[in-house]
Amino acid sequence: MQYAQSKKPSTWQHFCILLRKDLRREFRTREMLTSMGLYALLVIIVFGAALALTARGVDIVSMGGGLIWVLIVFTSLLGLGRSFSYEKDQGCIEGVLLVPMDRSVIFLAKAVANMLFMLVVEIIAVPLFYFFFMTGSETSSTFLWIIVPLVLGTIGMAGIGTMLSTITMHTRAADVMLAVLFVPIIFPLLYACTTATTAAIIGSVAWMDYFVIPLVIAAGFDIIMLLVCWVLYDFVISS
Amino acid sequence: MSRSGGSAEARSIGKPVKLPDAGGWQDAIAVPAAIAGAILTTAGFLMAFLWAAPVNGAAVNGFEMIGDTVVTHQQLISQKIFYFHMPAAIVSFFSLVMAAFYGVRFLMTREQRFDTCSRALMEIALLFVIMTMITGDLWTRFEWGVWWTWEPRLTTYLILMLIVIAYFVLRNAVDEPEKRATFASVVSIIALVDVPICFMVTRLIPSSVHPVVLREGGMSFDMGVTVLVVLIGMLCLGHALYRLRFRALRLSERMEALKEALDERPASHYPSNVQPTIAPPVATPSITELANDPLPDEPDPDEGKPATAVRPNGELRPNKGRIKGEYPTCLLR
Amino acid sequence: MTAKHVRTTTPPLPIPPASLSAISVRGVSKVFGARRALDDISFDVPEGAFVSIFGPNGAGKTTLLRVLATLARPTSGQVVLEGIDTKEEPDQARALLGLISHAPMVYPDLTAEENLLFYAEMYGVQDPKARVNELLDAVGLAHRRHDTLRTFSRGMTQRVAIARALVHDPRIVFLDEPYSGLDPYAVDVFDSLLSDLRGGRTFVMVSHDLKKGLAMCSHALVMARGQLVSFQAKDEIDTVAFERLYRQIVGMGVA
Repeated sequence: MQYAQSKKPSTWQHFCILLRKDLRREFRTREMLTSMGLYALLVIIVFGAALALTARGVDIVSMGGGLIWVLIVFTSLLGLGRSFSYEKDQGCIEGVLLVPMDRSVIFLAKAVANMLFMLVVEIIAVPLFYFFFMTGSETSSTFLWIIVPLVLGTIGMAGIGTMLSTITMHTRAADVMLAVLFVPIIFPLLYACTTATTAAIIGSVAWMDYFVIPLVIAAGFDIIMLLVCWVLYDFVISS
Repeated sequence: MSRSGGSAEARSIGKPVKLPDAGGWQDAIAVPAAIAGAILTTAGFLMAFLWAAPVNGAAVNGFEMIGDTVVTHQQLISQKIFYFHMPAAIVSFFSLVMAAFYGVRFLMTREQRFDTCSRALMEIALLFVIMTMITGDLWTRFEWGVWWTWEPRLTTYLILMLIVIAYFVLRNAVDEPEKRATFASVVSIIALVDVPICFMVTRLIPSSVHPVVLREGGMSFDMGVTVLVVLIGMLCLGHALYRLRFRALRLSERMEALKEALDERPASHYPSNVQPTIAPPVATPSITELANDPLPDEPDPDEGKPATAVRPNGELRPNKGRIKGEYPTCLLR
Repeated sequence: MTAKHVRTTTPPLPIPPASLSAISVRGVSKVFGARRALDDISFDVPEGAFVSIFGPNGAGKTTLLRVLATLARPTSGQVVLEGIDTKEEPDQARALLGLISHAPMVYPDLTAEENLLFYAEMYGVQDPKARVNELLDAVGLAHRRHDTLRTFSRGMTQRVAIARALVHDPRIVFLDEPYSGLDPYAVDVFDSLLSDLRGGRTFVMVSHDLKKGLAMCSHALVMARGQLVSFQAKDEIDTVAFERLYRQIVGMGVA
C-alpha cells in the first residue's frame, strides 16, 4: 500500500523517461539506425548509377545540395514510419496513455528521439555523399555552413514526421500514407533548406538572398509547424 | 497526485445534439446561387472576350529567356484565361479556409456534421484547385512557352493539390469513423497553415531561372469588373456545389442511420431480469421464467404496420411504438 | 486501509454513499453519427467487486471498458471512479486505474525489469526499484528480469503485463479479454495470480468465456447493442438459467 502515495512526475521528468526509453530501445536493437544508414547508402548507390554515365556533364557542385536533401527525405521517411510501429504493435502506446500525464509530452519526446536518429544518420550519410561524389570537385570555403540548414531541416522534418506518423500508424498501408502526407507538407521547408544548402556549397555571391533568407523562412516554418503540431497532438493521440 | 488535469472543458453534455439535415438558409440559397453562378460566370465569359480591353496585365518585362524560348511582351488572347484563373484560385483557397474552420469546429465538438462539412468543402477545394491548375498551366504555356515552370503560384497550387489529394487518401485509409474525422480535421488545419508558407517560400527565395511576373499597377476598371463578376459567379457556384455535395453525403449518412435504427433492438426487447440501478424496479419476471420464455412476447399494438411510416409531407419517420428504442435524432425532424 | 476493501456481504453503515461504489456510471453514451456504440449506460459497482461484462460481438463491451479506463471519451454522461470524475480530473482517475488487455503493452526489446521500471517511473512510484522487484517476485519472473521480452512465451509476457498494470498499485483494474492467446496452463497461472492480487481491488473484466467469467465474478453485466441489458450480483443469479439467457441474447444479437 505504501506505493499508492506516488507523486506525479513533472512534465520534464516524463519527457526524460520517454526519451530514455526510446534511446535505450534503439541502443539495444540498433534497428532504426542500421536500416536508415543502409538505406542512405543504397540511395547513394542509386545516385551513382544514375549519375555515373553523365558524370562529366553534370555540375555536381550545384546539384549536390539537392541530392543531399533527396537522401535525407527518403531516409527520414523510413525512420519516421518505424518510430510508431513498434509502439502500436504491442499496444504500448495505450499503456503510455494510461499514465496520468500531459500527452503532448509524447510528441516532444518522440520528435526529439527521431531528430537524434536522423542527425546521427546524417552525420554518416553526408560525409559518405561527399566522399563518393564531391571529393573531385572544388567546393567553396563556406561548405561547412551546410550544417545550419541540415539542422533546421531535421528539426522541422522530425516534428512534422512525428505528428504524421502518429496519424498514419492507425491507417492501412501506413508507410505509403506517411510519404503521401509528408512530402507535400514539408515542401516549403525542403525548398528553403535545399536553396540554403546549395548556396553554402557553391558559396554564392548573393549569400544573403540564397542562404540567410531561406534559413529565416525555415526557422519560421519550424516554429509555426511545431506549435501547430504541439497543439493538435492531443487530439490525434487521444482519438 | 497533483491537480494539473482538472480542466473543466466546455463540452456539450447529455443533450443529444440535433443533427441538422440538409436544410436551413444555406441550402435555401443553394439553388438560386447555382442559377446566379451560372448566369454570372457566363456573363463574365462574354465580358472577358467582348468587353474587357486587351491589356498587358500579366506580361513579361522586356525580353526574357524561359526554357529555350524567347518570350516577349505579348498581348495574347491567352490573357483572358486570367479572368477565370484568379477567381478559381480564390474560391479554392476560400474552400480550404472553410474546411479548416469546420475542422476546428469538429475537434471542439466531435459532431459528425462538421466533419461532413469539412469533407464536402475539401472536395470543392480540390475541384477548384484542379481548375486553377489547368487554367494556370494553359496560361503558362501560351504566355511563357513552357508547360511547367516552378513559378511561385503554380508550385504552391501543385503542393496544395497534392495535400488535398493526400487528405482523401488518408480518409480512405482509416476505418473507424471518429478517428477518420479527427485525422482529417487535423490534416485540413495543417494544410491551411502550410499553404501560405509554401507560397511565401517560393515567392521570397529568388529563383535564378524564371522571371517574376509583374503585375504593375492595379487592374483597369473593365478588367476589375469582369474579374469581380466571374468571382461572384464562381463563389455562388462553389457554394451551390458544396451544399449539393453536403446534402448527398448527409443523405447517405441518414441512410446509414436508418439502417442502424431498423437493425437496432432496444434493451427492452431482450429478456432481462435487470434490477435497474437508478429507476425503481418494476415488477420483473424471475430469471427462470424468462429463460423458459424465449422472447418477451408482449402484445404489440402496432402489429402489422410497417416499421416506418410516411409522413404527409413525404418524409420517412419511424413508426413509434413498433420499436421503442431511441432513434438517431436525424430521423425525427 | 486493507480492511476497508475486503468484500463483505453487508456494507458498514456509516460510510457516505460516494465511497460505497468504486465505479459509478451515469448515463454514458458514445455516439458518432448514426452509430451508438454505447447507449445511456448507468450502473454502480461496489468497492471490491469483480464485474464480468458479457455480450455478443459488437455489443460495446470493449468500448465501455475503454471509456471507463479513460482511453475513450464518452459523448455524454459521467464516469466516477472512487469519487473522481474522469472528465474533470482525468489524471487523478488514471492514477487509480490499471488495464490488462490482450495486448501486453510492453516493449519486446526491453527487459522485463526495464519495462516495469519505465512504467513505474512514468507513474512516479516512490522507490521504483523496490516496487519492480516486489512485482517480479509476485509474478514469478525474478530470475528472468534481465531477459528481453522477445525471448518470453506469451504466458510469461502476459505475466509481465499484469505486473505492468499493477505497478502503481491501482484501486481499480480493468481486464480486456486477458485470456486470448493463452494456453490452458498459462490461464491457470494467470488466474492464481489474479486471485493473489485481488487484495480489495475492484475488477471489471470483459470476456467471451461465459463459464470462466461467471465463476470469477461477483457481479454480472450483460450488454447488447450498446445497451445495458442487466446488471446483477451473482448471488441473485441462477447460473444455469443465466447461461441460457445469455445464449438467447447472443443468438438475438447475431440475428
